[in-house]
Amino acid sequence: MSERALPRELPNPGWGPLSALPGNPLMWVLILSEMLVFSAFFALYAAERVGATALFDASQRQLDPLVGGLNTLVLLTSGLCVALAVEAVSAERIRRARQWLGGAMALGVLFGVIKGVEYAGKFAAGITPETNAFFGFYYGLTAFHFAHVLFGLALLALVTWRTSTENVETAAAFWHMVDLIWILLYPLLYLLR
Amino acid sequence: MTALPGTRRLLVTWANLMALTLLSMLSARLDQADQWQALPLWSAGLVIAATGFKAQRLLMVYLNLRAATPAWKGTFVGLVLLTLALIAAGVLAARLI
Repeated sequence: MSERALPRELPNPGWGPLSALPGNPLMWVLILSEMLVFSAFFALYAAERVGATALFDASQRQLDPLVGGLNTLVLLTSGLCVALAVEAVSAERIRRARQWLGGAMALGVLFGVIKGVEYAGKFAAGITPETNAFFGFYYGLTAFHFAHVLFGLALLALVTWRTSTENVETAAAFWHMVDLIWILLYPLLYLLR
Repeated sequence: MTALPGTRRLLVTWANLMALTLLSMLSARLDQADQWQALPLWSAGLVIAATGFKAQRLLMVYLNLRAATPAWKGTFVGLVLLTLALIAAGVLAARLI
């Protein structure tokens, strides 16, 4: 008689449909909802661009895609640090996990500094969210994302203090979501024309 | 706790993400930014494809979604694809209208 395959072990038993997701299930609910919110804004941006292509193209020329690209590389590297912190804390190497978290936070701050310099340059040139629809989207989307970066930094600081596998895994999931949103935001605002 | 990706896989993924970011920047012809013009379709397509692959790698490895069921993997990857399809439709429509 052939042996029946054993049912797959669920990462979070007792969470209903969410039990098959790794890490904190509620963080996945947050990730899904944030992705939906940003996707709606991206669709709105794309639709507005169709109606005012010349304006959007002319405004997009005011952005520096190299600076946006640099920020992408910085954020993706901070994501690696956070993932390595999860590996370290799961191996009970708390000190090493804190070092990786420190590295991730330093890169997160660098992202903020680069963004701040970019904003300062735009404001100095008289470009504000009210300049036109493109810059309304630019400031709105990047500032909303930046608010997530700040919250993510606070979470990383908190789990550096209260370091446990579950805490670090939860903060890491939030930080990767911030990465994911930026990955989609960067080509939309800076590259595609 | 769910099996984690492992240091080697994380480093390979990071290298892929960096390379894909640089590929996106090259595809967007930043070297010709002074001669501002719409990207050729292949170029815009490459930027969108690289972005999609980056998002997929980040979900599967950094967020460890590979440990989830195919239904959840499909949900998240499907949402990324839908978002990219909307963005691509916007780029195309802006040229046609």
